[in-house]
Amino acid sequence: MKNFIQKLTLSLVLFLGTTAAAIAQGSVTGNVSDNEGNALIGASVLEKGTTNGTVTDLDGNFTITMNSFPATLEISYTGYETQSLEVTSGGNVSITLENSATQLDVVVVTGLASNIKRSNLANNVASISSKELTGIAVSNTTETALYGKASGTNIVASSGAPGGGISMKLRGTTSINGSSQPLFIIDGIFIDNSSIPAGLNIVSRAASGGSSSNQDNPSNRLADIDPNDIETIEILKGASAAAIYGNRAAGGVVIITTKKGKAGKTNINFGQSIGWTEMLNPLGVRQFTSETVANSSRFGNPTDIAAFEAAQAAGQIFNYEEELYGNKGLLSNTRLSMSGGNEKTQFFFGSTFKNEEGIVENTGYDKASLRLNVGHKINSWLDVDLTSNYVRSSADRGFFNNDNSGTTMGISFTSTPSWANLLPDENGNYPANPYGTSNFLETAAKVTNNETVNRFMGGAKLTAKLFTNDNSSLKAIVNTGFDTYNLYTLASFPNTVQFQRDGNGLNGVAVHGNSNVTRRNASAFLLYTNSMSNGLLSRTQVGVTYDDYDRNSIISESFDFVNTLTNLDQGVNIGGTQFRQISVNKGFFVQEELNYNDQIIATVGLRGDKSSLNGDPNKMFYYPKASLAVNIHEMVGLPSVLSNLKVRTAYGQSSKTPEFLDKYSLYNQSAIGGLPAYTPSSLYGNPVITPERQTEIEFGADFGFLNNRLLLDATYYIKTVDDLILRAQVPSSSGYSVQVTNGASLENKGIELGLSASIIESDNLNWNARLSWWTNSALVTELSIPSYTTGGFADFLGNYRIKEGHSPTEIIGVIDNPDLRDEDDLYVYGDAEPDWQMSWFNGLSFGDLEINWLLHWKQGGENINLSALLFDLNETTHDYDDTDLDPSGQLNNGDYRLSLLGTSTAPYIQDAGYIRLREIGAYYKLPVTLGDSGTLTLGVSGTNLINIFEYDSYDPEVSNFGSGGLSTGVEVTPFPSSKRVNFHIKANF
Amino acid sequence: MKKLNILFMFAIGLFLVSCEIEPISNPNDPAQGDVTQDASISELNALTSGIEDLLRSEVGFYYDVVSIIGRDYWFFTGSDPRYTGEVLGKGSSQLDNAGFYGNRPYAARYRTVKAVNLLTEALANTTAPLTDAEKSGYLGFAKTMQAYELHLALNLQYQNGIRVDVSDPNALGDFVSYDEALSFIANLLNEANTDLGAAGDAFRFTLTSAFEGFNTPASFATFNRGIAARIALYQGDMSAASGYLASSFMDMSNPLSGGPARFYANAAGDQANPLFRVPGNSDGIIAHPSWVAAVDPADARAAKIASREEISLDDLTGDHDVVVFGSLDDNVPFMTNEELILISAEANVGSDNSAAVAAIDAIRTANGLAAYGGGTSDSELMDEIAAQRQLSLFGLGHRWVDMRRWNRLDEVPLDRVDDDVWVQFPRPVSEN
Repeated sequence: MKNFIQKLTLSLVLFLGTTAAAIAQGSVTGNVSDNEGNALIGASVLEKGTTNGTVTDLDGNFTITMNSFPATLEISYTGYETQSLEVTSGGNVSITLENSATQLDVVVVTGLASNIKRSNLANNVASISSKELTGIAVSNTTETALYGKASGTNIVASSGAPGGGISMKLRGTTSINGSSQPLFIIDGIFIDNSSIPAGLNIVSRAASGGSSSNQDNPSNRLADIDPNDIETIEILKGASAAAIYGNRAAGGVVIITTKKGKAGKTNINFGQSIGWTEMLNPLGVRQFTSETVANSSRFGNPTDIAAFEAAQAAGQIFNYEEELYGNKGLLSNTRLSMSGGNEKTQFFFGSTFKNEEGIVENTGYDKASLRLNVGHKINSWLDVDLTSNYVRSSADRGFFNNDNSGTTMGISFTSTPSWANLLPDENGNYPANPYGTSNFLETAAKVTNNETVNRFMGGAKLTAKLFTNDNSSLKAIVNTGFDTYNLYTLASFPNTVQFQRDGNGLNGVAVHGNSNVTRRNASAFLLYTNSMSNGLLSRTQVGVTYDDYDRNSIISESFDFVNTLTNLDQGVNIGGTQFRQISVNKGFFVQEELNYNDQIIATVGLRGDKSSLNGDPNKMFYYPKASLAVNIHEMVGLPSVLSNLKVRTAYGQSSKTPEFLDKYSLYNQSAIGGLPAYTPSSLYGNPVITPERQTEIEFGADFGFLNNRLLLDATYYIKTVDDLILRAQVPSSSGYSVQVTNGASLENKGIELGLSASIIESDNLNWNARLSWWTNSALVTELSIPSYTTGGFADFLGNYRIKEGHSPTEIIGVIDNPDLRDEDDLYVYGDAEPDWQMSWFNGLSFGDLEINWLLHWKQGGENINLSALLFDLNETTHDYDDTDLDPSGQLNNGDYRLSLLGTSTAPYIQDAGYIRLREIGAYYKLPVTLGDSGTLTLGVSGTNLINIFEYDSYDPEVSNFGSGGLSTGVEVTPFPSSKRVNFHIKANF
Repeated sequence: MKKLNILFMFAIGLFLVSCEIEPISNPNDPAQGDVTQDASISELNALTSGIEDLLRSEVGFYYDVVSIIGRDYWFFTGSDPRYTGEVLGKGSSQLDNAGFYGNRPYAARYRTVKAVNLLTEALANTTAPLTDAEKSGYLGFAKTMQAYELHLALNLQYQNGIRVDVSDPNALGDFVSYDEALSFIANLLNEANTDLGAAGDAFRFTLTSAFEGFNTPASFATFNRGIAARIALYQGDMSAASGYLASSFMDMSNPLSGGPARFYANAAGDQANPLFRVPGNSDGIIAHPSWVAAVDPADARAAKIASREEISLDDLTGDHDVVVFGSLDDNVPFMTNEELILISAEANVGSDNSAAVAAIDAIRTANGLAAYGGGTSDSELMDEIAAQRQLSLFGLGHRWVDMRRWNRLDEVPLDRVDDDVWVQFPRPVSEN
């Protein structure tokens, strides 16, 4: 400690009383290569403590004119350990960089205009490399590739439907009324991640019961991004790291950087994978006997008993779970990428063609993605980076989830006993399901629920070195991005299906949805770097930002069809709705970063933001940030075993703007007797609504042992959100029923631990592993209105409750024992938030064989399992006849659970924890050479091959209400999840 | 030099993004504030139709609860036990201040009140080419309907009183007593009547066919006066009631002619009659046995019920469906000529009993009964008027209100040992 203070004092003296250094100019030339002797092109060579630097050329050579001698050259290259070299005079040097065993040297993109070395970072920013992301197995979408790979994240898939649909929360729930999803930025482009419903409600009637949500379960648009194009992902989990994104950053920010070309030989990669997908966890169906049918309250009547006896005699007992979900879907993924260029221009081209079938007939996902990234040096001081990505995807998602009409395949399946015959006759005509409104096999064969996306994302970044001298430089960085897509949805229910024919339903329905969405963003920054001879490096940035959003959704419904065409005008009755959403945000940002010899790194910054979504669009809201990282190992001598020791703390604020409709009191349009009518809406908009303000403080320490072969990081954070927006009840004599108001606060606290180790390092055997553990707990600390339940269907079916002093994601229900009821006459059965999560990544390479796997353990967290309730109500549950639940041993499981319905919700609120082998992959580089130096690799991989959970359904990861809002974890007959196996061949020229 | 150019462009960029953000109007639906600031004639007409639309909002609940408590009928439904539970005071159950049955019809009435206030504001601000007479026409219609809606809310809340000044949602007026509220409503009706008098020959807006015969300022004023007569009756001011009746649409010569009504149509985008239920179903409105017993089979009003298979629910048993409304397209009247004649009868009791008997006879003979042959003392006539009102206004939300104002709630028949007849609904929880 004394040593530390001495050094600090000395530093300050040096800083204040600038010294005169010896002037002895001269050039150093050299060559940089890796440990196999390959030239490293574009490695950065820097005279330490100055901004004087260069990069290596095509042959790995460089020349640098030094300001002074003696000096230290710092040579760095992504993926390699940074090396320092003392030079006392001009001359020639040769440097070999070692592969980086750790992540410490990796540059982390955290800001709008600047990067920072991971070792100097004050936040626990999760970084995921392309190898971790896509190197193990083939995931169907980018978001599923993120599972278990970053601490502090909670990712929940809404269902197993092809095309994705997830909810991602970083460090807990940050909003009650709105979504807690993070902002996704790809190469500076703000990506739209909306979930836009297809308008299935006209048939499902899902919104006409206990919930007003249409429960269409659309995918979210991040699914369009091809994970194979991604170089790195950085996850800024809260305001302390993401404050510079201001009112876009309440849910955190996920910064995705795609692959860029490098000067040198053109590199061509081709890969093909073929595999299959199958149901992840078949439950089985109830095995009826003459006795159980006769004793059944639903089936114990002469007609059904006779039907069962006849079917059994004829051997016509079916396992409809297999019939409906038994498709082994073929998976195919073709990948071609190319990169290369010269010193002036580099390019990366990536293309993926994906074709995946689902586990239900006629479902699947097709995607074509083309990306071209070009970097060009216009002249010595001006660089431009251009990115472009075109995606076309088509997802056939099936017709699942809740309804109030018995029409979805999931609901209809729950109502059907095994002796019903639903198979088509020899002419292909499906019989009506005698036990339901729809024949789900017919629905699978005839109903379409398709989402087709055409999307273009483009960005340009202009970097101008306006001014450079020996120890200072001024750069201007202008960044623009836009993301525009058309989402076309078609939901078609032909008039030949059971629930549309013979006067049932609407005689055929086609719902055509057309959404055009454009999101644009731009920023302009000035970045001034000044390096002082005393080792103090100052980086000042100031800039402005702009982003806007425009969505225009038109849903047209047509019904009363004569034929089975789906064209709108084939239906006799045509109607439509339109929804537009527009917003504009403007902001500025200033930041000052001081770095003293990589020993002490301090940052202060301020973001200002205004938004058209706020009550007053021109009121500026300010969000400060400050952080400090101290690399103790750079300052004092530590025991040699401890090679790295950093302590860090960061503070920041950010916000979430109100939802689009929050500020408006509107008229509803209606009609009476053919006259158009305006009636005031019962929602009292708040014209002075302000953003939800988040404040986060984070503390942590990073340790490196044994030359950083073992790295340990520990982080604790407290994240509070104030001015949460609520819908508060108002006196109904005002003419309104609820008012939008800023009226609650909540707090998340959590711990994140990471341990990475290079366990074995030898010539032909390497084993490295990373273990992450994280936990988050949340509390509503202030609520200006009485506690209320939300997010589910009804309290007796399980619901979420917002209550002061309680978790915002707690799940309540009714309970039979009056002594256990709380003041709301309810009982807390659980919480959607897991107790903790853990992931364990392993990479093992043995010569040319490489095996990687990832285990993911989610402990605790509950779901509301209403699929189980529906099976029970229809007496078709797979464990209906078991007798392991009733404490008195009298009732079988089904009857026991039903006997509690209305008095206790306990049977249907279930532990949703799991242990999973998320991904495993084995790859072998064949001992052949393609062309000059090409390689050929064969591999096999699997996703979700091992799943251990108690949850009594297909998958504890489920959300009937999709990805938005609080209530992930309500299950109503979803598209079941699947596991995947793939075989790979990859060639590299 | 080039670098300076870039710097210059950069400065321009800074300037561009630092300017103001234009407020964005919601493009999906019109904002209340925007319409209020300067409404076009078509928008003012949409507001007027909006008022007509809101008059029917949740009104099915109003008629059901008033008719159930007044023992006109029961509502048998498997989907909600409260209609045969709390509303009838079964056992120890109480009306719930968060119950939908009392709060939804109450809240909906105030939505109409709000719609009228917004229209009034819009009329004050509009620059559309409207004459003063035309503006008076809008006001006369809107204020009449506002008064009508306040009186329905008051019927539910009774001695709890209601708020009458609700123009500013952030500063709602205090609750006023039942009597004060009635005076407020009476004054509002008179104000509206004055407006209608200054409104010229025709309205600038269109009313639906449910206002057939009441769709000019002069003919609509006869409805306004009819409501004024009802309020005067509630106030016990019989001479005022008689006075208003003279200018109302009362027609002694054609007693069964109807009156203005809420429009319903079983068509896409419109609303179907909420009080019609298919007869014979297990979910249905079942005539109270006391009403079945009260109606003479020869009385034309016996057609308001239809016999059915006996049905029981919650220890209640009935054998007649209520068929006051015959289809989903039937309109629901605000007020009928029969009611005006019966108001006239009641207003004359004690001052001109023979006029009262004449009014009673108009009703009786029109419905196929013999002329009144009973005693003509005040109390005997009041009994007869009560009986006629029970039959003529069956299912139209009067019995409970009538028995309450006559202090005869204890005569309402109870069906189960611990049933109750409630005096009023609790003040909705949102108002506390």
